[in-house]
Amino acid sequence: RPEHRRETARFWRENRAEAALRERCLVPAGEYERFAQALERALAEHQRREEERILQVTSVTYPPRHRPGLRWPRFTALSLQMAADIREAERRQRETVQAALQKYCSFFLNHTQLQPEPELCAGPSDCRPPAGLQRDSPCAAEQPGPSRMQTGPDLAWMESGKVLTFIGHQVGDNFSGSFLGAKPPWLTEEEDGSKQQIGPSYEEFLKHKEKQKLKKLPVERVGANFDHTSQTSDSWLPSFGRVWNHGRRWQSR
Amino acid sequence: MSFLLPKLTCKREVDQAIKSVAEKVLVLRFGRDDDAVCLQLDDILAKTAHDLSKMAVIYLVDVNNVPVYTQYFDISYIPSTVFFFNGQHMKVDYGSPDHTKFVGSFKTKQDFIDLIEVIYRGAMRGKLIVRSPIDPNNIPKYDLLYQGI
Repeated sequence: RPEHRRETARFWRENRAEAALRERCLVPAGEYERFAQALERALAEHQRREEERILQVTSVTYPPRHRPGLRWPRFTALSLQMAADIREAERRQRETVQAALQKYCSFFLNHTQLQPEPELCAGPSDCRPPAGLQRDSPCAAEQPGPSRMQTGPDLAWMESGKVLTFIGHQVGDNFSGSFLGAKPPWLTEEEDGSKQQIGPSYEEFLKHKEKQKLKKLPVERVGANFDHTSQTSDSWLPSFGRVWNHGRRWQSR
Repeated sequence: MSFLLPKLTCKREVDQAIKSVAEKVLVLRFGRDDDAVCLQLDDILAKTAHDLSKMAVIYLVDVNNVPVYTQYFDISYIPSTVFFFNGQHMKVDYGSPDHTKFVGSFKTKQDFIDLIEVIYRGAMRGKLIVRSPIDPNNIPKYDLLYQGI
């Protein structure tokens, strides 16, 4: 088709790729039509399967209606199961897209001497929503090239190198997540036993006030550094200056 | 009126008093309860004790009970009053030969109050010896002899 031809020519010119390869990349019209139809069929099939699974899950949990008091655990069971299913589905989609993209990414990048960004293959697949399967699959050449180049650098920053450490799904079978209505841990310790008071007692507070008053006294007063609580022996005598002009001058202190 | 003021009966109690009184002038009266001049001094001390309660703590010591301190402070005449602040001995120049203690009684209550105030202010400013505000005529006269010379 003419637009397809023109776009590939432009792409080749912009990226200065080998002209010989361009001919090979041109997708003939018939092939394109066939591919589009196959794509639609695959997509319909996939959506049908997903809906079937969801209906299966809800039908399993709807029957027990005679226990209204159990509504909360039933909903959470439903949501937990759905969460697990969705996680599984996402994972499979990611893998499919990754495999497909890798094939075509390597073809484009190796042969057209573009900026080597192999993370592009992994990038877009993780960040795009799973419903974008039909967009990511290797179809017309005009879409993946320029669009990927624009979004490439940003996504590469997010995914390359410093991958976040995954420490496991925290909310499993127990209902202890904050969004599930569990009590916060600092409120659940009601059976603590002795009621320990937090903070200083009344006597300590009074002593603290006395100390504050002490700080306000002049610093150079007599005996400011006198230790009032020191244990002295029986033969201790206070410092008493001499009475007569007998000893040295410093003894008269 | 010596029964109005607290008494210290042994050396350990005197030590305790010297070490524990904080940020106030410690007044130790050395004498005997039955001596005439001592009674006069005790009267003045008792009457002013309440007004000076924020600045001073007053104790009575019988010289017979604490021979150690009687010798250490060289107490030859009674009553003798010794002043301490935060465990440190305070000297006062009264115009008399002995600056380390006040010998005799005071003429008026106001004299004693003035003296305590001067000692307190001096101690707060870090002075170990202060000058007495009492009129020298009101200070009791005595002869300070060295071992009977």
